[in-house]
Amino acid sequence: MSDFSREAVPKWLAAVTGAALLAAMYLIFLWVPTEATMGPVQRIFYLHVPSAAVAFAGFFVGGGAAIGYLSKRSHRLDDLSVACNEVGLLFACVNLVTGCLWAKPIWGVYWAWDARLTSMLLLALIYMAYLILRQSIEEPGQRAAVCAVVSIFGMVDVPIVYMANRWWRTQHPAPVLGGEGSLDPRMTFVLFFSIFALGLLFWCLVRQRRHLEALRRASDALRREVQAMV
Amino acid sequence: MEPNFKWLWAAFSVAWALHVGYVAVLSGQTRTLARQIGDLQAQLKRGTRADPGREG
Repeated sequence: MSDFSREAVPKWLAAVTGAALLAAMYLIFLWVPTEATMGPVQRIFYLHVPSAAVAFAGFFVGGGAAIGYLSKRSHRLDDLSVACNEVGLLFACVNLVTGCLWAKPIWGVYWAWDARLTSMLLLALIYMAYLILRQSIEEPGQRAAVCAVVSIFGMVDVPIVYMANRWWRTQHPAPVLGGEGSLDPRMTFVLFFSIFALGLLFWCLVRQRRHLEALRRASDALRREVQAMV
Repeated sequence: MEPNFKWLWAAFSVAWALHVGYVAVLSGQTRTLARQIGDLQAQLKRGTRADPGREG
């Protein structure tokens, strides 16, 4: 079966992802206790933090695939890289927007130019530039090679964003996992369950995005054949 | 309803709207490309039938 006629997201994966997302929503809105100081708005945390975790994982897989592409020149690795980076950017945008909507009632402002927020915004801008660059280079080999370099550059920025509120004094809350903060065990469970559910959603979207890239390649090849025939 | 509930709803609504929007864009592009591929394959088939010497 050709690349473009197979099913991108198997039904069982879509069903498991849907069930996991529904379960996550149940846990976030109905099961986990309300945080004493912030109240219900703290529940944004269960979407905000997992979105960042999934985006970071996506940028790492995308960067790894980019390194693989530069050494093997396999178009499948380029497909994986662009899929992970694009879907990772979606999750990074969700992280930024949910962060702003949490900050307004808690800090009184949507945005603060501190190290964590600014470095996350820069990371998202790097991947926006990556996608614009992909659109602007026609030759497929050159496009993949140049974008692989940008993808690796973006991946290197991820640990800086992660460590920003450890290395510098920031308005952003201290890390709750592996840092000074502590979390109720039920909150920890919901946090990890949300990471799992959003991880599944990420993988479904990456599969669909890779499928789209395979279709583009098939369409380009057929168009060249038709042009050669005319 | 607690005063900061609206921010919670806003955050989840925007997040899911972003995801649904992205899925809609992906599905639209996939459908368009699948249709284009079908058209191109039909064009190729017509072309090879009209010019059997090109086959093989």
